[in-house]
Amino acid sequence: MDFFERQAQAHRHTKLLVVYFACGVTLLILAVYAAVLVLFTGVSASHSRRSAEAPAIALWQPQLFFGVAVGTLAVIAIGSGFKTLELAQGGRAVATSLGGRLVDPNTDDPDERKLLNVVEEMAIAAGLPVPQVYILPEEKGINAFAAGHSPSDAVVTVTEGSVRLLTRDELQGVIGHEFSHILNGDMRLNLRLMGIIFGIVCLAVIGRVLLYARSGRSRDKNALPLLGLALIVIGWVGVLFGRLIQAAVSRQREFLADASSVQFTRNPAGLAGALKKIGGLSYGSRLETAHAEEASHMFFGNGMGESFFHLMDTHPPLAERIRAIDPSFDGSFPAVDETAVEEQPPAVSAGARPMPFPPLLPGMGRGQAGAAGVAAPFIAAQALTPHTGNPTTAHLEYAAQLRGAIPAPLQAAAHESLGACTLVYALLLSDDDDVRARQLDGLAQATSPAVCQETMRIWPQVEVIAAQAKLPLVDLALPGLRHLSAAQFQQFRAAVQKLVEADGEINLFEYVLQKIVLRHLEPSFLPARKPIIQYYSLKPLMPDCAVLLSALAYVGSEELEKVQFAFRRGAQALGPELQPALTLVPQDACDLEQVDAALNRLSLAVPQIKKNALDACVQTVAADGVIEESEAELLRAIADTLDCPMPPFMAGPQ
Amino acid sequence: MIKGLIIIVLVAVVVPVFFILMWLISAYNRLVALRNRYKNAFAQIDVQLKRRYDLIPNLVETAKGYIKHERGTLEAVIAARNAASAANVRAAQNPGEAAAMKELSGAETALTGTLGRLFALSEAYPDLKANTTMMRLMEELTSTENKVAFARQAYNDAVMGYNTTRESFPTNMVAGPFNFGPAELFVVEKPEEKEAPKVSF
Repeated sequence: MDFFERQAQAHRHTKLLVVYFACGVTLLILAVYAAVLVLFTGVSASHSRRSAEAPAIALWQPQLFFGVAVGTLAVIAIGSGFKTLELAQGGRAVATSLGGRLVDPNTDDPDERKLLNVVEEMAIAAGLPVPQVYILPEEKGINAFAAGHSPSDAVVTVTEGSVRLLTRDELQGVIGHEFSHILNGDMRLNLRLMGIIFGIVCLAVIGRVLLYARSGRSRDKNALPLLGLALIVIGWVGVLFGRLIQAAVSRQREFLADASSVQFTRNPAGLAGALKKIGGLSYGSRLETAHAEEASHMFFGNGMGESFFHLMDTHPPLAERIRAIDPSFDGSFPAVDETAVEEQPPAVSAGARPMPFPPLLPGMGRGQAGAAGVAAPFIAAQALTPHTGNPTTAHLEYAAQLRGAIPAPLQAAAHESLGACTLVYALLLSDDDDVRARQLDGLAQATSPAVCQETMRIWPQVEVIAAQAKLPLVDLALPGLRHLSAAQFQQFRAAVQKLVEADGEINLFEYVLQKIVLRHLEPSFLPARKPIIQYYSLKPLMPDCAVLLSALAYVGSEELEKVQFAFRRGAQALGPELQPALTLVPQDACDLEQVDAALNRLSLAVPQIKKNALDACVQTVAADGVIEESEAELLRAIADTLDCPMPPFMAGPQ
Repeated sequence: MIKGLIIIVLVAVVVPVFFILMWLISAYNRLVALRNRYKNAFAQIDVQLKRRYDLIPNLVETAKGYIKHERGTLEAVIAARNAASAANVRAAQNPGEAAAMKELSGAETALTGTLGRLFALSEAYPDLKANTTMMRLMEELTSTENKVAFARQAYNDAVMGYNTTRESFPTNMVAGPFNFGPAELFVVEKPEEKEAPKVSF
C-alpha cells in the first residue's frame, strides 16, 4: 500500500466515522426524547389523574421531538465545534494541554540531544519538515504521541521515561511509529475524534447543571433535576459508545503504524525492544496527567491501563503487538532497571568532524555547488515514485549522513531563531558580488544591521555546502523559525521577499525555498486557513497540469523536440483518454507565477489526483533518463505543495 | 401548555449557561497558551545568556595576560557577570515575574556597561586586540549578544500579547480569579543611550 492509498484510506475512515457518529447521535436524540416524554408527560399525567382517568401518553409528539432534536444537536454541534476550533491550533495545543515542555533545540542534555537527533534524521529521511518535539516531564512511563492537522504543524511528544530508558534503536522505533501516524494522516482523524466526543460530553455536563437547577414552580420541582440525571446517564452512555468506536479505530491504526515503523527503520528489534520495556516496566505506558483520557488514542502505548474485556483499550495488547513484529516472542517481559540509562555511542554524532557529503551517485562527489549545469546528478526515475511518503532504511542512513555532514556551526545556527533566519538569508545570497551587495543593503533595511552582520558571518560556510544538503538544511531550520514572534515573522517574510527579488528575477531555487519556508511557517503565525478539497476529478485541472508538465519539460531540456517528448511522456501518465486535451504551453506562459497558481489549485484536489499529477511530473522529468538538480528542486517543491513528503533523492535501485 | 413552557425555560436557562461556560473555557485556555508562549520565549533567551556567561570568564582570562594596570575593570566585569548569572537563574525559575525580571534587566544593563568599558580598554592594547583567542571570543560574544537581542525581541512581543489579552475586556474577568498576573518586559539599556547629554555653555 503506498502513501496515497493510505491517505485515501484515512479519508474513507473519516467518512465512515461520520456515519457511525450520525447513527450514535440519532440514538442519543431518541433517548433524550424518550426521557423528556416519560418525565414531563408522566408528571403532567400524574396530576391530571385525580380529575379524570389517565390519558394515554401520546408516543409521537412532533413539536416536542423537534425541540429535543434541535436542542441536542445544537449542544453536540457547538461542543464539538468548540473543541475542534481549539484543536485547530494544531499539535502544540494538545501537547501543552497535557503538560508538555518544548525541548530546547540547543539542549545540552545528552538524552534530549539523542531524541532530537533521531527526530531530525527521521524527518529528513521522510522529506518532512522537522516537527517540534515536546517532553512530558512528569511521566515516568514509556509513551509518545504525534498530533497536528498536517505535517506543517505536527508535534512529536514523548514522555520523560522513554527518553531516559530507551536506547537509540528503541527510540528510533518509537519515533518511526509516530512518523507513520503523521504520514498515514491519522492525526487529523484523531483530532476529529476528540472533537466529537467532547460534544457528547457536553450533553452530560448540561445534565449536571440541570441536576442542581431549581424549578420556580413547586409542582414541577422534580422534573428538571430528573431530566438532568437522565441527560447525565445518556451523555455518559454516549461517551462510552464514542470511546468504543474511538478504541476500535485506534487499535487498527496502531498495527499499521507498528508495521510502517519497522518498514522505515528495518529494525524490528528496536520497536520490539521498546514494547518489551513497556511490559517490563512497573509504570508501563500509563500516564499520570488528568487529560490523558481524551487523548489516549493518540499515544504509542496504552495510556489508561487495562480495561473491562479490552473493549475500551485504544491499543492492541502488548504481547500481540510484539508477536506481530517478532514471532519468536515468548510472552515474558524482562524486568527493566529504572535507574539504568544505557550509554550507546550515536551512529552519527552531532559534533563530529564534518565528513564529505554522501554522494548521490557512486563516483559523484561534492563540489557541484554553485556549478549548476556541470556534471548534473541523475537519478533513475523508477527509484523515485515508490518512495513518496515511504522512507526506507537507506533513506534513514542517508539522512543521518547528510545531517552529520552539515558543519556543526550551521547545525547550531539552525537550532535558534536568529541563526535559523540568517541561515535562510545566507542561502538566498547570490554568488554575484554586485547582486549580493544590493541584497545585503536591502536586508539591513528590512531587518537590522546586526542580522546582516550575522548573515555575512555564516555565509562562507553556507556557500560551500553541496546543493543536495541545502533543502534539508531548510528543513532543519524550521523549528528554530517557529520561535519567532509574530512581528519578527512579518519582518522575516519581508526580508526573504526582498532578497529573492533583489536581482530583478526569481530563480528556481529562490522560488522553491520561499515556497517551502512560508508554506510550513504560515500555519504557526497566521490564523489557520483550512484547505477544503474542491476537485474530485482531473478534468477541471487539465490546464494546470499542462502548465506544470510544460514547466518541468522546459527545465529539463533546451531543445524543443526533447521538450515535446518529455511533455508527451508526462501526459501519457495522466491517462490516455485525457491526453488529447493536453497541449504543450509556450515557455513564456509557464513561468514560476503560473506554476505557482497551478500548484495552489492542484493542492485542493483529493489525494488520488495529486498522486496522478505527481506521477506525471516524475515521468516528464525522467523522460530523458536523468534528473538534474534543478528538476529535482522543482519536483520537491511540487511534492511539498501537494502534501506528498518526498524523501531525499538518492542513487541506486531500492 | 406546561410542556411548551418547560421547553422554553429549558432553552432559556441551558443555552446561555452553555455559551458562558464555553467562553470561559476558551478564554482560560487562550491565557494559558499565551503564558506558555512567553515562558518558552524566555527559555530561548536563557540559552543564549548562559552561553554568554560561559564566554566571559574566558575573555577575562585572556585579557589578564595583557592588561597589567587596570585590574579594576576586569574585576568589575567578573562581578557583573556573576550578578547577572545569579539573576538569570532566579528569572528562569519564574519568567515574567516582575521582581526577578527587573533584577535581571538591571544586572544585564550593568554587565553590558562593564563589557563596553573592557572593549574600550582593549583598544589601548594592540597586542591584545591582535590575539587570535581574543578575536574569536569577542566575535562569538558579539554574535551571542545579537542572538540575545533577537530572542529578547521575541520574548517582549510574546509578553505584550499576553498582557494585552490579560488586561482587555472581557478576558480580564477570567485573568483575575484564575491568577494570571502581569508579565514583565525584559529591557536592557545601552549605556550610551542612558547617559545624559552634557550641556555646556
